[in-house]
Amino acid sequence: MSSSKFRQASNALLFLGPASLFLIGLLLVPIIVDLVVSFTDMNQTIKVDEFTTKQFRKLVKPSEEAWFGFELRSSFYRALMLSAIYVFFTLTIFNIGFALVLALTTTALPGRLGGLFRAIWLLPRMSPSVVYALLWLWVVDPTDRGLLNQILSITGLGPINPKLDAPIMVIVCANGFIGASMGMLILTSAIRSIPEHLFHAARADGAGGLSVIRHIVLPALRWPLSYITVFQFLALLVSFEYIFLIMGPARSTMTMSMLSYTKTLAPDTGSGQYAYGAAITLILIVIGMAVALLLWRLTNMKQLLTQPRIEVQ
Amino acid sequence: MARVELRNLSKVWDSSVAVNGIDLSIADREFVAILGPSGCGKSTTLFMLAGVYMPTGGEIRFDDAVVNDVEARDRNVGIVFQSYALYPNMSVLQNIMFPLRFQKVDNPEAKARDMADLVQVGELLDRRPSQLSGGQQQRVALARALVKRPNLLLLDEPLSNLDATLRLTMRSEIRRITRELGVTTVLVTHDQLEATTMADRVICMRAGQIEQVGSAEDLYLRPETLFVASFIGSPPINLIAGEGRNGRVEAGDQRIETGQDGQLTIGIRPEMITVAETGLPGTIRVVEAMGREILYAAETNFGLIRFLEATSQPRWRDGDQVALAFQPEQTLLFGAEGKRIADHYAKLGVTTDA
Repeated sequence: MSSSKFRQASNALLFLGPASLFLIGLLLVPIIVDLVVSFTDMNQTIKVDEFTTKQFRKLVKPSEEAWFGFELRSSFYRALMLSAIYVFFTLTIFNIGFALVLALTTTALPGRLGGLFRAIWLLPRMSPSVVYALLWLWVVDPTDRGLLNQILSITGLGPINPKLDAPIMVIVCANGFIGASMGMLILTSAIRSIPEHLFHAARADGAGGLSVIRHIVLPALRWPLSYITVFQFLALLVSFEYIFLIMGPARSTMTMSMLSYTKTLAPDTGSGQYAYGAAITLILIVIGMAVALLLWRLTNMKQLLTQPRIEVQ
Repeated sequence: MARVELRNLSKVWDSSVAVNGIDLSIADREFVAILGPSGCGKSTTLFMLAGVYMPTGGEIRFDDAVVNDVEARDRNVGIVFQSYALYPNMSVLQNIMFPLRFQKVDNPEAKARDMADLVQVGELLDRRPSQLSGGQQQRVALARALVKRPNLLLLDEPLSNLDATLRLTMRSEIRRITRELGVTTVLVTHDQLEATTMADRVICMRAGQIEQVGSAEDLYLRPETLFVASFIGSPPINLIAGEGRNGRVEAGDQRIETGQDGQLTIGIRPEMITVAETGLPGTIRVVEAMGREILYAAETNFGLIRFLEATSQPRWRDGDQVALAFQPEQTLLFGAEGKRIADHYAKLGVTTDA
């Protein structure tokens, strides 16, 4: 090998090596391990006695009438539905909808004030998860001490117990208030990168505030919005920490990721069923990949990654 | 379409004064250019006319109605920006039709197509702005600004992003189109050639104030201030600063008769200076071939003096001795405040020890 070729190869190794190791070690290997474990009978003893599909049989059962010859078992079906509801509402209402409202309003405010509001929205992200979860526990506390109940008592309404009556709403709100800040940041910077002259031109052309948002701002946010959608969908699908911290292993909020966690690693909840948890996780990975690819296709994100999409004069 | 009047108009930002009490009247269908260096307040003035910036003092009147508090969208003003500011997600046709969305007009598409034909982009209607050349984007921006038949057309450095040849074409194109539509037009530019060739009247601004208003010829031949004299003209005017004593400015054994005493600046345009048998002695230091003409700079007792000769082959070389002469009535004399002293001229004196 000539010396220049050798240098090329060693440079490639030097520059790509760490990232490749990271990818393989932290992303690819765990997926393979998960795949293997999900087809075993591994439990607390971390011993593999046989390779089997029995973990998947806990999730689905053969059925003559069902579409693919399999029927979802009720606990799994329930987890799937709860995940879908939780991800859908957190994503649409908070991570996208609320993030957009926050970005639009704080960029419309004069410089300092807008920055202040954005900083306030970032606070929960800066505080430790446990502290944030404790705050929510206080907010939804069913007794008179709960913030929500204190506010309600002023208006004369009786105390409520959100954790019991609207558990999904509690976890959607808790995740949403923290999740909106990421979208807010990305959308804010996207709005700021719109050339100011476009706003002036639209105003002079006769556009009002809503028309400016519709014709100038939203088209410029198309790519950031698709990015946030894909990214946050994947993040929400596997997120469980706030659900666990606020709700505990409650049946009412037992989403797929919670099910996987409580069956394997969570303390005092019948955990240690590693193979079972791995099977659930495998399904989550498949769902994540399928939906990400679908959104990728729908939003034409390939283009986003190949060239910068925010046009600046 | 509209008369425009500015009365004591000013705009103060947090710490700086951008426009400092200007008065100006623009006649209906007139084409005026606001000319000045960057930071002189010309664009701020334009954006106040557009309603993008709100004035902090004074009045803007369209046809005698004060429009200070009227929003941009209700002023019926068309603007062309330096960056063109075309909407990137819309086609050319959608861009041109955009202003008509907010007005009740019959058949907006036909109107947009007519306007596209007028600015000669009728073939490009389905394209996106990113698929157009600079000149085409410029035309689309012009069509968008004109499609709603504005009271006032504002052009903010519209040609500065175009190459030299295209700039020449667009200058006459814009002139043709505005004349055809009879729209009152305000052009903001730092390019004197753009201002003087396109506008009926040129407003020269400096540091938030109007220095001089007049025709291109007024500004060139009869500048009222030292600033206007030095800002207009390329290559720039020769300025000889000196102390007038006994009606003359002296430097070594040379003198220029001024008939004025005190701090003086004598201005002589490079093309007004000729090489003669007798005159101010100088040594050629710079020779620049500019195509049709040659620009020389000669070292004299009064400093470096630039002059032009209309030949394509240089007649002088570095180090040659020349005698420079000029006609007194082609000179300009400025006093201590930088104001021109009218009807006074400078004349080369006789060498003292001759």
